[in-house]
Amino acid sequence: MAKIKLGIFDFTDCEGCQVELVGLKEKLLVLSEKVEIVNWRLGQEKAELEQFDVALIEGTPLVQEEIDLLKTIREKSKLVVGLGSCATLGGIPGIMDKKERQKWYEKIYGPDYKGRGIDALPLSAYIKVDFLIHGCPVNGAELVRIFSDLINNKKLNYKDFSVCFPCKVANIPCRLLENKPCLGPITQGTCGAICLKGGSPCYGCFGVKDGANVGALLTILKNFASEEEIENYFSMFHNKSKLYDK
Amino acid sequence: MINNEFIAKIEGHGTLNIDLARKKAELKVLEGERLFEGILVGRPAKDAPWITARICGVCPIAHNLASLKAVEAAFGITPNKTTILLRKLMVASQIIQSHTLHLFFLALPDYLGLDSGLELAKKNPAAFKAALSLKEISDEISYAVAGRAVHPTTTAIGGFHKIPDKKSLKDLANKLENNFDSALSAVNVFRKLDYPGYNIELEFISQTDRKKYPGYDSTEIISGKNNYSSVKNYKEDISEEVRKNSTAKFAKYKKREVMVGALARLATHYKYLAPVSRKYVKELNFKNPFYNNFAQAVEILHFYQKAREIIKVLLKEELDSKIISPSNHPPLKGIGAVEAPRGGLYHEIHLDGKGKIIFVNIVTPTVQNLTSIEKSGQAILDQSPKISQDEAQKLIEMLIRAYDPCITCAVH
Repeated sequence: MAKIKLGIFDFTDCEGCQVELVGLKEKLLVLSEKVEIVNWRLGQEKAELEQFDVALIEGTPLVQEEIDLLKTIREKSKLVVGLGSCATLGGIPGIMDKKERQKWYEKIYGPDYKGRGIDALPLSAYIKVDFLIHGCPVNGAELVRIFSDLINNKKLNYKDFSVCFPCKVANIPCRLLENKPCLGPITQGTCGAICLKGGSPCYGCFGVKDGANVGALLTILKNFASEEEIENYFSMFHNKSKLYDK
Repeated sequence: MINNEFIAKIEGHGTLNIDLARKKAELKVLEGERLFEGILVGRPAKDAPWITARICGVCPIAHNLASLKAVEAAFGITPNKTTILLRKLMVASQIIQSHTLHLFFLALPDYLGLDSGLELAKKNPAAFKAALSLKEISDEISYAVAGRAVHPTTTAIGGFHKIPDKKSLKDLANKLENNFDSALSAVNVFRKLDYPGYNIELEFISQTDRKKYPGYDSTEIISGKNNYSSVKNYKEDISEEVRKNSTAKFAKYKKREVMVGALARLATHYKYLAPVSRKYVKELNFKNPFYNNFAQAVEILHFYQKAREIIKVLLKEELDSKIISPSNHPPLKGIGAVEAPRGGLYHEIHLDGKGKIIFVNIVTPTVQNLTSIEKSGQAILDQSPKISQDEAQKLIEMLIRAYDPCITCAVH
């Protein structure tokens, strides 16, 4: 059987998800033997732009050239997979509202500067994306699960549990019961509740779980948190994914 | 945009145009602007370290710590001894992590005629094994102390949400003990490389406390042999220039092109290196920026040794997990300086009376190095009368890689 042709692309972002990818170490080596990496700017000079079985895209298509390349990649790829919250949700760069950009170009770069960025949006704002590997950064074990499905020609699937599941398994006191905001109940749990284990809140970077009841969580949050505080949580990674009507 | 116009194997997006007839090399930075200094304004102070870590996936710990220091200065907080030791351990793991990734995955292929770091597995299995071992150990330290290899989860304003227990520190100590060879072999790989021979006048600066090898707690900047300036004046001394067609600014220190990072730290602080790494200093050429690769390997060995020493102290002491609260009359303005893997990093933050962010300024090491890269690139072209277009392209790309620029940091 011919090797899967894989392209790995990075748009505007921190490249931390690729660092997680490299962090797979021996497993990445196994992957590189099972697939042919035909394009990976961070990893190699070789850069084909012919055809991809799978295109893995990290980052937000912020500048026009990235938006154009994204559309080209879509045309040339059987499967387009978003890697990390910038690609899947708009993520941290998405906190910046489009209408605010000009003001900040002037403050940061001065009045004569002509900004390149248009708006930090998820890939899905421009093209059809076949699968989303969420996370800021993505989780190594989850990468292994998805890659092994890819190599074995299986249909990629999301896991059907929220962050609460691994959080309870780890016996971490529930933040909501302590009147502290948390987006764990509506968020996909394949992160393993890693932020909560470290003592940080969940801001929902692993994306909304299928069938999550966002309205019910909002009702609970409104019992103890101010609107500003709720907005602070929902804007961290989801500013561009419009989870609820403000 | 054709994808391969971008320089491969560097962090972020830049292009290199060489006009050989005019002997000019131009580095263009085209990374999209995320506008972090704007993103933060209006948000609570707690968001600053969390969000700024995400400026860079290769040095998130450096940004997280610089931001924590800035916020703590603004709140009038002095963290306890355990916190400081754990943060210094984070600096050590960050530098090992970042240097390992850069050296083996991005830089070494140039010298061995390979296209990708993954090819090392077959072509130089010993180097590959050392790289994996160093990556694993530094990831494990970051995991145990910071909660994760990329983007910390445990760090907090005034301390840690969660500190590692003695057992996990003991495990780290054993792991470091058993894998010391990997740090030694990193130095052995990079001291034997055939670096392009150039002679370039380089001026180095580094953060310093005049007592130790730089990392977490510097208050001054040293330039040359013994000129000092206060970190408090970072904004005046490190002036940033906005250029047409570049999303990154280009900085100079007191109007001069300076190099920051491993080679600069070694040049200014070699006498404070751990003895095991100090003996390699005489093999370094401080007038050749390609030796930054070798310098990074020497630093891996130094910080490996530092990590062992810090853990030893932590194992002896009683660990204090208390988070320090803001003082009663905080100054509400603070600067946080840390030596990141690529050089001096500065975060400044201003808060209002409710702890909301009203101003942020971030100066990254790569912004300082960009002007030095340009100067060195020019010197190389001037010193190479017979070079062809292809050779020039390859050589200057190697030079850029040797500086280990982080374009995503530079633009932020």
